[in-house]
Amino acid sequence: MSEANQFEPKIVAYVCNWCTYLGADLAGTTRLEYPANVRIIRLPCTGRIDFNLLIKAFEIGADAVLVSGCHPGDCHYTAGNYHARRRWILFRELLDTLGFDLRRIYFTWISAAEGRKWQEEITRITEETRQLGPYRELYQKNGFRRPAPPPPPKPPAPNKSAMAAQEQQLRETCTRLLTEGTVQVVIGYGASGPAFIRRAEDVGKLIWNTDCQANLTTYLKRKEIKRLGKAAVVVKGCDERGLVILEKESQIDRQTLRVIGMACDGMGQPKCDTCEVHQPRFADEIIGDVAPGFSPAPADLKVGVTAATHPLDALMKMSPAERMSFWAQEFERCVKCYACRQVCPLCYCERCIGDKNRPVAIDTSATPKGNFAWHITRAFHLAGRCVGCGECTRACPEGIPLGLLNLALARAAEKHFGYQAGMDSKVEPLIGSYALTDKEDFIR
Amino acid sequence: MSDVPNKTGLAPDVAPDVAPGFSPLSADLKVGATTQVILKAALRDLAKEWIAQGKVVAGPVKTKPGLILYAPLASAEEIVWEGFVHPANSAKEFVFPRHELLCRYQMEGNRVELTNGGVEVAAQILIAVRPCDAAALPILDHVFNWDYRDESYNRRREATTVVTLACASHDESCFCTSVGLGPQSERGSDVMLFDLGDAYEVRCLTEKGRALFAGRTQASERTAPPNLGPEPRFSPEHIKKFVDEHFSSPFWQDETLACLGCGACAYNCPTCHCFDIVDEGNGQHGERVRNWDSCQFAQFTLHASGHNPRPDQGSRQRQRVLHKFSIYPEKFGEILCTGCGNCTRNCPEGQGLLTLLTGIEHA
Amino acid sequence: MPDIYTPDLMEVVGVRRHTTDVKSVRIRFQDEERARQFDFRVGQFGIFSAFGYGESTFNICSSSNWKDSLEFCFRKVGRVTEALWRVEEGDTLGFRGPYGNGYPMEKWEGKNLIFLGGGIAMPPIRCAVWYALENRDKYGDITIVYGARTVADLVYVNELEEWAKRDRVRVIQCVDPGGQTAEWKGEVGFVPTVFERAKVAAENSVVLVIGPPIMIKNTLPILEKLGIGADSVYTSLENRMKCGVGKCGRCNAGPVYVCKEGPVFTMEQLQKLPQDY
Repeated sequence: MSEANQFEPKIVAYVCNWCTYLGADLAGTTRLEYPANVRIIRLPCTGRIDFNLLIKAFEIGADAVLVSGCHPGDCHYTAGNYHARRRWILFRELLDTLGFDLRRIYFTWISAAEGRKWQEEITRITEETRQLGPYRELYQKNGFRRPAPPPPPKPPAPNKSAMAAQEQQLRETCTRLLTEGTVQVVIGYGASGPAFIRRAEDVGKLIWNTDCQANLTTYLKRKEIKRLGKAAVVVKGCDERGLVILEKESQIDRQTLRVIGMACDGMGQPKCDTCEVHQPRFADEIIGDVAPGFSPAPADLKVGVTAATHPLDALMKMSPAERMSFWAQEFERCVKCYACRQVCPLCYCERCIGDKNRPVAIDTSATPKGNFAWHITRAFHLAGRCVGCGECTRACPEGIPLGLLNLALARAAEKHFGYQAGMDSKVEPLIGSYALTDKEDFIR
Repeated sequence: MSDVPNKTGLAPDVAPDVAPGFSPLSADLKVGATTQVILKAALRDLAKEWIAQGKVVAGPVKTKPGLILYAPLASAEEIVWEGFVHPANSAKEFVFPRHELLCRYQMEGNRVELTNGGVEVAAQILIAVRPCDAAALPILDHVFNWDYRDESYNRRREATTVVTLACASHDESCFCTSVGLGPQSERGSDVMLFDLGDAYEVRCLTEKGRALFAGRTQASERTAPPNLGPEPRFSPEHIKKFVDEHFSSPFWQDETLACLGCGACAYNCPTCHCFDIVDEGNGQHGERVRNWDSCQFAQFTLHASGHNPRPDQGSRQRQRVLHKFSIYPEKFGEILCTGCGNCTRNCPEGQGLLTLLTGIEHA
Repeated sequence: MPDIYTPDLMEVVGVRRHTTDVKSVRIRFQDEERARQFDFRVGQFGIFSAFGYGESTFNICSSSNWKDSLEFCFRKVGRVTEALWRVEEGDTLGFRGPYGNGYPMEKWEGKNLIFLGGGIAMPPIRCAVWYALENRDKYGDITIVYGARTVADLVYVNELEEWAKRDRVRVIQCVDPGGQTAEWKGEVGFVPTVFERAKVAAENSVVLVIGPPIMIKNTLPILEKLGIGADSVYTSLENRMKCGVGKCGRCNAGPVYVCKEGPVFTMEQLQKLPQDY
């Protein structure tokens, strides 16, 4: 190895206390030499690692990051590494979509007895990273021109008389629900936005037409709505799957909530072009029938996952550096208004991690660092929970295609775990669970 | 401008009743005297020159289909001159950036070295801004110089020349005429442009404006017809009276249920200026920065004790209306709103101030 | 300060721990010239920085006659105060100020002063008391009723005892019922109750009452009964602040910016403000 001007990569290793840290220690005590390029950060367990820590390592100058812990079955806390593995499989897909250089991220199992494996892995990682060179592409725009935008969605072709009939039936249903006292408020669509009908004589304000774009289930999380009493909510097929997740996560009382499902032939949004849920499935009252030619959603429904051509496909055909350049340009417009968070029915944390300051996990500033960290966190905290309603993309005032990140994770969930969010309330949550059979072919 | 319907039905050469803030002709121009015009192609060339001179030139840019934003231009070709009503954002970013360095700190043991954030600001020209964005700037001047002078803001203001394009059309979210402005309002502008079809009428209103266009315009007898803009939707006096007298009314909670408490309205508003100050860094070095903030966020007024004087969205929306239509006028004599309509256009649920204000007008 | 947002650098010259979560810190300007020309009115506040953690707003609780240092007192509740908790002598903090309107000490001359405070409200009272004692002949009788939840929560206890020895000064310490220890020699009861029991002479008096809203609410009727008008009763408001200079739009209570037009208000002024604080 030549000595002059050799690039010395900086490697950050997040290791678990009980296995890998002791393995590294063993390498030291048995005098096995390994490159000094690695900086070791010890945590109790790989299960404790918030993968934002990987991003932070890159932000402060790391050229490669390693996560290493106990072998499956040997975790000191029984299952921490299984959780880490499950999460890592998904997080990796998110990073790939964002254009992070995955060659610089390593995940290994190294036990306390494997001092030699530690030596070999660190040596290998250091050399491979040395070949790659410094990680300069992080958050870089590189003057890359963004790809051609997707074609605009088909405009809605409403069957006006059918929709008018649905509107009439909706009003009758709500009159009944309010006068019988089954609910105290109906959350529906009004002429100037969401309408909150509390008296039967106001049901005339409810409308049903192709302007009914919003996902009204987001209002179920708002304390200003909760204190109005028992609620009924008007949903389309794309909106209602979120209710399955909310019920599973104990955020709604499905017994007292009345769900009014509207059959829908499309609202002219991109998601409508490939929709397979024209007929709601989980509602208490279903109003209207789907247009001829649409059958009720199949049992093995894969909403949003099998779209024939999709902007996400075009994105994934680019190189990672080009993808990162794309996202850096998109996130440059983000002003941190959090419309994406506020509009999402599943972002219901009373105090979002983006608002916490002990410690500051995500910079609040609208900088590349602050914006990437926020959108990575938002997407990942919705992994296995997002049902693809598309509200985040619609709500963003700066036109950032946020739904692509959620879709990437939905596809990853389907591909690796056969999992689709919001189809069955008895299925265990994706991130909160693990399987002994979770594949780890890319874990070395 | 010739295809804009004459709302009063009068013949064009009879001066109609004008809306406040609206002046069809410069004050010192007598009938029959000349105006100044510039051909549209010549204006593009002028903009090219400004860019070549290293000035920051910003205007409406088509960022992607359906999205037009005020942004710095790489080339004069990027300016979108027509075919839309208002960009999705406001022009305040250029005098009040979303993220600004206040100072840098560097620790050595228990000593701290502090460097001031003040940066040299390049000359910037805002071109084809809407009158509602231009008018916001002198309105903001008050609060940023109220006893304590915000020099960073002032430096940017000094460095900025505002070339406003009078509006040819409006949409249902616009309400400039309700707050004392109009599609041809000159407030805050250094230069006004009026679309004449193949050329613009140019009115230089300040020294800065004259310096920019000196020798580039020709005399003409053409002038822009008046445009009255939308019908006023409410009276600011009614709004102030209502909000002052109904502070504790359940009106606020009842009428704001649709608001989700994001910052889409405030961040795209030309006059909203609330901000946050945070330290970002580590134990050794870092930056103290200023970021946009919004009174609609739940934690905006949260005390360390856990007490929150504005604990629900209704009280936070009330604050928004109070600040814009009562507090700011009381303190500084101006409404903190120019009726641009961005709040409604950007709101994910189609709300925005206009819904609330028309609700108050009819309450 | 080179501009309104860049703080002055201050050296920590003293740290004193009062309770399990309350400390006071004394700081002085590193820049001698700045130290020489700095002045403030008691009742004004400052914005203190722990670099890397952020800024926080506290009353300047030292007398304006003390030229060698400033003092502030805080409870450890959040990110910045946790960082301030860790400072030691010799450390560097930041300071912006003085901000706000301060107490109208000139207007209070010739009057009897009544100070009522609870818990962490002692520091903003302390600066006024010292100021008055340092200009003793300008003020009449001084009465201080100060209470906390328990004996361990009382702050500046040694100074309370010192004040009690001064000429025409009456100090009553109290703790909430159940907060007393076996050795406690002071009163037991809430501040308003103890104040009423104390039968303080009310003529020609101004009252400074600082404490949690419930305490103020219960004190006002007693003051009314004593014939002290709402324009002679003062308080110091707290609201969440960031800039301190009337720009960030956060601290207003209705039309009033607490950082610029307050934080000191009479009850008469406060009663006209909407419930926005």
